[in-house]
Amino acid sequence: MTTQQSSSNKFKHRQLSVGGLMRRYGTLIGFLLVVAIFWWQKPQTFMTIPNWVNITRQVSILGVVAFAMTVVMVTGDFDLSVGSMASLAGIIAGLLFQQEQSLLVAVIAALMVGLVGGLINGILVSYIGISAFVATLGMLTVFRGLALYMSGGASIYGRAIPETFSNFGRGGFELGTLNEQRVFLPNLTILAAIIFIVVLILLGQTVLGRRLYAIGGNMEAARLGGVRVNPLRLLTFVFSGVGASIAGLMLFSRLSTAHPTQGEGLMLKAIAAVFLGMTMTEEGEPHVLGTLLGVLILGVLANGLTQLRIDTYIQEISTGVIIVLAVALSSLSHKQINILKPIQQFFRNSGSQAEARQLND
Amino acid sequence: MNFPEQTPLELSIYQANKAYNGIPALIDAQITLRGGEVHGLIGENGAGKSTLIKLLAGVLSPDSMRVTFNEQPVELKTPQDAYQLGLRFIHQELNIVPSLSVAENIFLSHPYPRIGGVFVNWRKLNQMAQDVLHQLGVYHINVRQNAAQLSSGDAMLMKIASAFIGDDFANLRQTGGLLYIMDEPTASLTNVEADILFDVIDTLRQQGCAVLYVTHRLNELFKIAQQITVMRDGEVVGSHQMTDVTADDLIREMTGREMENVYPPRAVEAKGAIRLEVQNFSTAHVHDINFTLREGEIVGIAGLNGSGRSELLQGLMGADARESGTIYLEGQRLPRLSPTLAWEYGIAYVPEERRSQGLILTQSIAHNITLPHLAETTHGMGLLNHSREHLISQETSHDVQLRAVNTHQRVKQLSGGNQQKVVFARTMVKQARVLLLDEPTRGIDVGAKFDIYSLMRQFSAQGVSILMVSSELDELINMCDRILIMRQHSFVDEVVPTGLNEETLLSLCYGNAGE
Repeated sequence: MTTQQSSSNKFKHRQLSVGGLMRRYGTLIGFLLVVAIFWWQKPQTFMTIPNWVNITRQVSILGVVAFAMTVVMVTGDFDLSVGSMASLAGIIAGLLFQQEQSLLVAVIAALMVGLVGGLINGILVSYIGISAFVATLGMLTVFRGLALYMSGGASIYGRAIPETFSNFGRGGFELGTLNEQRVFLPNLTILAAIIFIVVLILLGQTVLGRRLYAIGGNMEAARLGGVRVNPLRLLTFVFSGVGASIAGLMLFSRLSTAHPTQGEGLMLKAIAAVFLGMTMTEEGEPHVLGTLLGVLILGVLANGLTQLRIDTYIQEISTGVIIVLAVALSSLSHKQINILKPIQQFFRNSGSQAEARQLND
Repeated sequence: MNFPEQTPLELSIYQANKAYNGIPALIDAQITLRGGEVHGLIGENGAGKSTLIKLLAGVLSPDSMRVTFNEQPVELKTPQDAYQLGLRFIHQELNIVPSLSVAENIFLSHPYPRIGGVFVNWRKLNQMAQDVLHQLGVYHINVRQNAAQLSSGDAMLMKIASAFIGDDFANLRQTGGLLYIMDEPTASLTNVEADILFDVIDTLRQQGCAVLYVTHRLNELFKIAQQITVMRDGEVVGSHQMTDVTADDLIREMTGREMENVYPPRAVEAKGAIRLEVQNFSTAHVHDINFTLREGEIVGIAGLNGSGRSELLQGLMGADARESGTIYLEGQRLPRLSPTLAWEYGIAYVPEERRSQGLILTQSIAHNITLPHLAETTHGMGLLNHSREHLISQETSHDVQLRAVNTHQRVKQLSGGNQQKVVFARTMVKQARVLLLDEPTRGIDVGAKFDIYSLMRQFSAQGVSILMVSSELDELINMCDRILIMRQHSFVDEVVPTGLNEETLLSLCYGNAGE
């Protein structure tokens, strides 16, 4: 293969322009910039170990949802129902606590919410053929209604909740002492880290992960290449459902309160985190390492802006602007971040239409 | 507009250079297109034809290039420049919007006729679309039907028609003529449809238009072209009057090597045991299929577009559900297949459309090669064995003589021929028992074709049984031991290719032999 040798040498000389670097690593550079600004503005409190430990706890719940969401988005779908599934899982666990069921029963029942919910989503999308956008939007409403109905619209808190359960969300693993203060690695952080590693191995090191990326890359080619597309797509929804349930339990445990709508903010932020991550991969496909960075960006922004006493509404605006900016910057590099795939499936053929326009232009 | 009788138009490009990432794709290329002339452009994939066309279209900016139009220097920097010079493009890729009507597709990149500037004048739109099809000699396409219902040949005719919208087709001679750039327009056409196109091209030529015709099919050029330019490795290596050259000359010039025969000779006579036996097989798209396939045998399937050829392969692969019938593989009765099971049984498949059905373009060569064989690329427990994957993809891409930087290169960066080799490499990971090939050489150059034919011979010598669908009758006649004729979703005839010519085979496909 002599021709390969000569051309590979030529490729090594490829130069990366500043603009190219900016587009590829813009999100990362932006993140470091934000960190630097907060560090400069809040030198005493921001860049400290306790604060960073705090940040990891703050983002742990979002992290779990986003890592699980990454798995769904690898195949080109997404799951809008994760937030309301998380709320419902918390409500189910809370109701079982009120009926003096054991911790184990409550946790398993809560996980079943995600399992069954994910199965329904998965069947609707892969076997019935509804677009993920419509199916999970519909299920979002169903789960939300269920959570409100079962709880009567009220929060569940107080004595009924076992102490071991609420202690888990507040507690942690003692790392040592710093300036005569004990530093704990929060249990929630540890749990999120475990799920991160599971997803990292699943997507990067297993046959299953490779097949999911194949489905996301070209579903028809994957099918003809022997990938069982339908069961695998279904499986990704089960995965995100269970992830949502775990997040719902984590939220419940941390707040010692289960409210029927408390998980609602998670869905949009999780999807945003995956998008932020997608801006950093070569082909614009989701990657869980990127998602982790996305989650951290959102967490650091919230933490830093709060420390700077910036109004929460303004925080929302700036977070939104940053997400749009990051994705816009990376699409300038002609990355095909097809964030609209499920929506395109909804509006059948609009994808090929756009493509046809592009080619005709 | 009254134009005086003009000198025939002439567009020349000189010293066109273009490099991608420092790798030259075009080196001092030059070409001159003249009115009243069909100019063929040939070269292997990667020779620079597409780059040259993109420069002409103004969609790619050259590193350097000089353009003259009727001996005046002109700019060719944007698609608008190209349009204003009178350049019209017919691309090889079928980009159609299936949900829109034929008329709307024809007008896709042109303004719709309107009433009062607001409402679409549908009646006029349909009428204009129909007129343009009629001018092309196409009468069988209803412009109101959805493009999704068209066969791929008709869809191509529809795309060709859209290149003629907006120009005063009847008065080309007065306006000085246009330049048509056609990139493999016949790739998905049947011979009859291609003949319609050739008539159109001839009319255009007589009206003083210039045509640049890119193709891999040399025999077409001998039918329609007067002038030919040959490219190799980014350079123009020859420019001839068509009457001065033979096909062998052109192949030699294109490949830079002697090629006595386009088809590699058969090594051994295939007379093995029965490998595959299909009885009364039906799916939603094919009816009552019966045939056997012997070890090492190459059997072709000939038929018109829409006769069910591709659908038969999809059915055998399990991609279309079996409705009735039985398949025996080496005497073993197979269960209802899915593509997953088919690969496991050693039934390998090269689909018709490599880009949409075969490959995951954004992923690496290695990932594409191992896709159907991931179960055998593990450490156990579903964990990927990356070094084994690397080894497999290295070996198979070497076997198919893939030209790539390395196996981590993304498939979308490869030329069509090399992409097809990736699809073939996939079938070599595990010894296949049956190989289903759908248009294995569509849209690839002579050199890559020869490589693929050699691979097929090699497979056959190893005992792999091959079932091949092809629209290139020449290919079927030269490669196959037997040819099955398909008409209206069933097999109707079987012929031995020895002494068979294309005309006879084609008339068998139409079903009017001897009438």
